[in-house]
Amino acid sequence: MAAQFHLEIITPTKVFDEGDVDYVRAPGVDGLFGVLAGHTDSIMALGLGEVKVTKGSAQTIYACTRGFAEITRAGVQLLVESAETQADIDPKRAQEAYDRANAYLAKKQDAMINEKRAVRALERAMNRLRVARK
Amino acid sequence: MANLKDIRTRIGTIDNIRQVTRAMKLVAAAKLRRAQSNMEQARPYARRINGVLKHLLPDINRHAHRLLSMRPAQQKAFVVVTSDRGLCGSFNTNILRRAHNIIDGAGKDQSQLICIGRKGYEYFNKRGYRVVEHYTDFWAELDFGHAVKMAEAVTSRYLAGEFDDVRVIYNQFKNVAQQEIVEFHYLPLVLEEEDDAITIDFLFEPSKDEVVKSLIPRHLNVQMWRFLLESNASEQAARMTSMEAATENAGDLIDSLRLQYNKARQAAITTEILEVVSGAEALVE
Repeated sequence: MAAQFHLEIITPTKVFDEGDVDYVRAPGVDGLFGVLAGHTDSIMALGLGEVKVTKGSAQTIYACTRGFAEITRAGVQLLVESAETQADIDPKRAQEAYDRANAYLAKKQDAMINEKRAVRALERAMNRLRVARK
Repeated sequence: MANLKDIRTRIGTIDNIRQVTRAMKLVAAAKLRRAQSNMEQARPYARRINGVLKHLLPDINRHAHRLLSMRPAQQKAFVVVTSDRGLCGSFNTNILRRAHNIIDGAGKDQSQLICIGRKGYEYFNKRGYRVVEHYTDFWAELDFGHAVKMAEAVTSRYLAGEFDDVRVIYNQFKNVAQQEIVEFHYLPLVLEEEDDAITIDFLFEPSKDEVVKSLIPRHLNVQMWRFLLESNASEQAARMTSMEAATENAGDLIDSLRLQYNKARQAAITTEILEVVSGAEALVE
């Protein structure tokens, strides 16, 4: 049995306590990284993407938005603005958000800031859809 | 004593109002519970972000980040958090009076306003203040996304140089009976640096600077979220207290009207008896 470590995913509205896990893969801003027990203490900025948690033979996937990971001897805490499991995601809503953002970008008549917002909404929707379809 | 019927109608009316205020009190109590649990939920996240930022700030060149570095404040922005609806005692009146004073102190012409909640928007818009942004009708379905939207709007205006200093004026929830109006320095970001330096050697990916850069917006978002939650809890608490007082007052009013009603009824009966008796006596003679 490989060593395990404690994992918590903390969002402003909810704390997911995963308990002891074997492995977590998270989307760093420069690419995916994986954490096993005994990792060096570190703080990593997280981008938008999926977080994969492996516990024994079970796997959970979360769709997460930006945040950071704090890795210490005591365990790993992922602080992200939102985290949803496959079950939490409403594919219909995500699809609607995707279409809306797409339509908005196709027209592209508004100011910069709105475009940025639409791009981000699009990324979020795509991330959700990807996780939901796993 | 023709007003017997009037008094009866008034008692009926006040009783109806009492039912309404009592229902409002119960609704506010339920909403307050939810608001408080939201506040509990937000705490661990806010605390961690704050902790890491404080830990990092001493090592960071403040001038490299525009959200951290002070600049002469020529234009100031004030974010005023009020409620959409009234009937919550002096909740809005107090904060608006305070905000009004603060803004006039800073100079009406050098101030821009971001109004969160309809009451504040109506108040300042009517008085000719520069309301650059307002958010109304969202309190009922308050979620974290609202906070992000507001924080981003404020931050991008700040970065565009529209104003140099941002204060948030909101009601802080102390307990059910008390709210405290707080003026919070939102931007540029100031954190009291901790001196109990817990220098654990962390590895920073991609770099300290990058981590701070990505942390600051997260921090601003969660701060904004905290303001909304605090204000929401305070609003519900204020509404609960004032509706409870209203229910009580309605009860007192009904009691005193009922006394009046009974007196009037007795007076009417006495008059009637007098009339009958004197009529009978007249017949005898």
